[in-house]
Amino acid sequence: MAVVGNPNAGKSTLFNALTGLRQRVANYPGVTVEKRTGTAYTLHGEAVELVDLPGMYSLSPRSPDEEIARKVLRGESPGIPKPDAILCVVDASNLERNLFLVTQVMELGIPVVVALNMVDMAEARGIRLKPEELSRRMGVKFIPTQAHRGKGLVELRTALGQKLTDPGERRWVMPPPLATAVGQIAAAWRDALPAELGAEGRALELLAGSSDGPEGARKLAVAWRERFREQAFDWPAAVVQARYSYLRDMLGQAGVGHGHAQLTWTDRIDALVLNPVAGWGVLAGILMLLFTSIFSIAAYPMEWIDAGFSAAGEWVQGAMPAGLFRDLLVDGVLAGVGGVVIFLPQILILFFFLGLLEDSGYLARAAFLLDRVMHRVGLTGKSFIPLLSSYACAIPGIMATRTVEDPKDRLTTILVAPLMSCSARIPVYTTLIAAAVPAALMPAWGKAGAMLGLYALGTFTAFALAWLFRKKMLGGGSPPLILELPPYRRPSFRTVALRMWERAVIFIRRAGTVILALSILLWFLCNFPHAAEDPSERLAKSFAGQIGHLLEPVIQPLGFDWRIGIGLVASLAAREVFVSTMSIVYHSGGDEEGLIETMRTAVWPDGSLIYTPVTCVALLVFYVYALQCLSTVAVARRETGGWKWPAFMMAYMAALAYAGAWLVQTVGRALGS
Amino acid sequence: MKAIDLTQVGAGREVRVSRLECAPGTCQRLREMGFCENAVVKKIRGGADLVCWVCGTRVALSARLARQILVEAVDGNS
Repeated sequence: MAVVGNPNAGKSTLFNALTGLRQRVANYPGVTVEKRTGTAYTLHGEAVELVDLPGMYSLSPRSPDEEIARKVLRGESPGIPKPDAILCVVDASNLERNLFLVTQVMELGIPVVVALNMVDMAEARGIRLKPEELSRRMGVKFIPTQAHRGKGLVELRTALGQKLTDPGERRWVMPPPLATAVGQIAAAWRDALPAELGAEGRALELLAGSSDGPEGARKLAVAWRERFREQAFDWPAAVVQARYSYLRDMLGQAGVGHGHAQLTWTDRIDALVLNPVAGWGVLAGILMLLFTSIFSIAAYPMEWIDAGFSAAGEWVQGAMPAGLFRDLLVDGVLAGVGGVVIFLPQILILFFFLGLLEDSGYLARAAFLLDRVMHRVGLTGKSFIPLLSSYACAIPGIMATRTVEDPKDRLTTILVAPLMSCSARIPVYTTLIAAAVPAALMPAWGKAGAMLGLYALGTFTAFALAWLFRKKMLGGGSPPLILELPPYRRPSFRTVALRMWERAVIFIRRAGTVILALSILLWFLCNFPHAAEDPSERLAKSFAGQIGHLLEPVIQPLGFDWRIGIGLVASLAAREVFVSTMSIVYHSGGDEEGLIETMRTAVWPDGSLIYTPVTCVALLVFYVYALQCLSTVAVARRETGGWKWPAFMMAYMAALAYAGAWLVQTVGRALGS
Repeated sequence: MKAIDLTQVGAGREVRVSRLECAPGTCQRLREMGFCENAVVKKIRGGADLVCWVCGTRVALSARLARQILVEAVDGNS
């Protein structure tokens, strides 16, 4: 069963209420399924598989997100069978607009049940809801629900267990010339495929330009399209008007009032947050709170995780005899995985805030506010949400670009999203800032300022390049902004918590697979061939050392030695691996302070320090710009449908990283440091 | 009755959509979101980008788009 609805209709909240933790999200590289699926149970205990589709306004897709939803409903999405039934979630306080989609879904030839959600808000606005009357008039079952309070779920579960019927005949009246055309095309469709239902819906799709269908029907559609064009008959507009006209009349006859559009507290809050001056203050305050929480609150759980891994390392050292296997466990597995898992609290805090902002309705306001800024670089406010998400991780950020309708806007957003400093860069930044300036000389605000500077560098570069890519390279104008501003709601902590849980599972799975495998591989490369007993001599002669030495001539102009070269190569797959690699390279056993101390005393063969402040800044700039994340490349390949753009992304970011680091080093040397 | 574009309407006024003059895809999305010809919309906020109340929801539009939405006064409204 597919769950569909307009954005902001409470679809995901209802899906979460029905499925709880029985959800699977498959949205990482290598997995082709892009939908959230879950198992709900009917009152009789029968399992019903639900697919939560992206929010959509219409079945005529304008964004990749809507295209995915349409394909699933049509049974054209690979690996997902055509749904047996559709659960339409509608916002009861906004019936006319929400039922527009329902009229389209009813033409698919699949049984439909409608969840009349957020009935409390509708009643508060003076709307008289009459579910039985609506069911009778539209020919599908309407069930009132309040997903966030769990109301109406029993009735919904009962309905899921009953045999649902096909909605039957179309209720809205087609304008005459169109009715003739659709009648003929649908008849040709039925002649060729008598078993398939929903021929009229298919006829409308063929008229709109779809090339999917029997030849006879397709030819008729082309002929009618041409005739309508000659007659200057705007049939798509006529269809929308006819549907809305039917809905207005039907709702009027059913006695469902429109409610009153009085000034609500949403409008009062909007007066502040959309104000051209105060609105920016609110946005800056929220972002500041977000980043402060990431760096301050997260410090406590991070210390606990660090202590846990250190204790585990000590326990293994005490419990096992000395030898290669113990070294592998302590220096390879525990130091490598521990160095990455430690960032879980920061990632969770970021997703917690993003969830709150999205669920409360504020994120749409931020997009609206930023539209003017984004417009200057050739994008719309809709690119703001993907870019903000990229501060957590470029992968959900790139996936969030599916809501961006214009293909060129979307591509530009994907190309610059990895420049927003993601949470995986935090460990690299923290370590290198500490290596550049001793903690005693660096006040807390200085560290925070340095961090902010790195974030600002990535962000400004992203905007500058967005301008270059969108306006100069891709060309053409960007579409104007049309954005729904949902009413403010109290965020559902359950929904936010479920989203955080999903992220935690994905992150830990990654740490347990990719990072674990890389840590073991890296340990092997750093320790073999086992040529010497002295650790640093052994590393110099190891496979990793050989790779680093090979790379040294290329990176020496940046002030980087062969050991940094090992770190750069190892972190090609994931940036955070740099820190764990350095832990292995310098045998610090995963202890951050020990690592920083060792790095601060590391020297070139001539005795000069490697990690001078300038080199640390050069390395920081390198990490701000370099695309060191295989998962991002994989997801960009999937979202852009080929290797061309991910290859371009890797190339331009590598060039930017090298040039940036070289510039820092050159200017630093010229200034005599 | 004279048609004006949506940017020229004062905040708080209700108007009737008389014509859309944007690109076909944009027009279609506007109609699907309730900005059909003859639909009554209320402008809530003005400014460079504006917010309208249509079909029970608030919809934000860029000024560029609002200039392509021609409207006329609803009876009893000037």
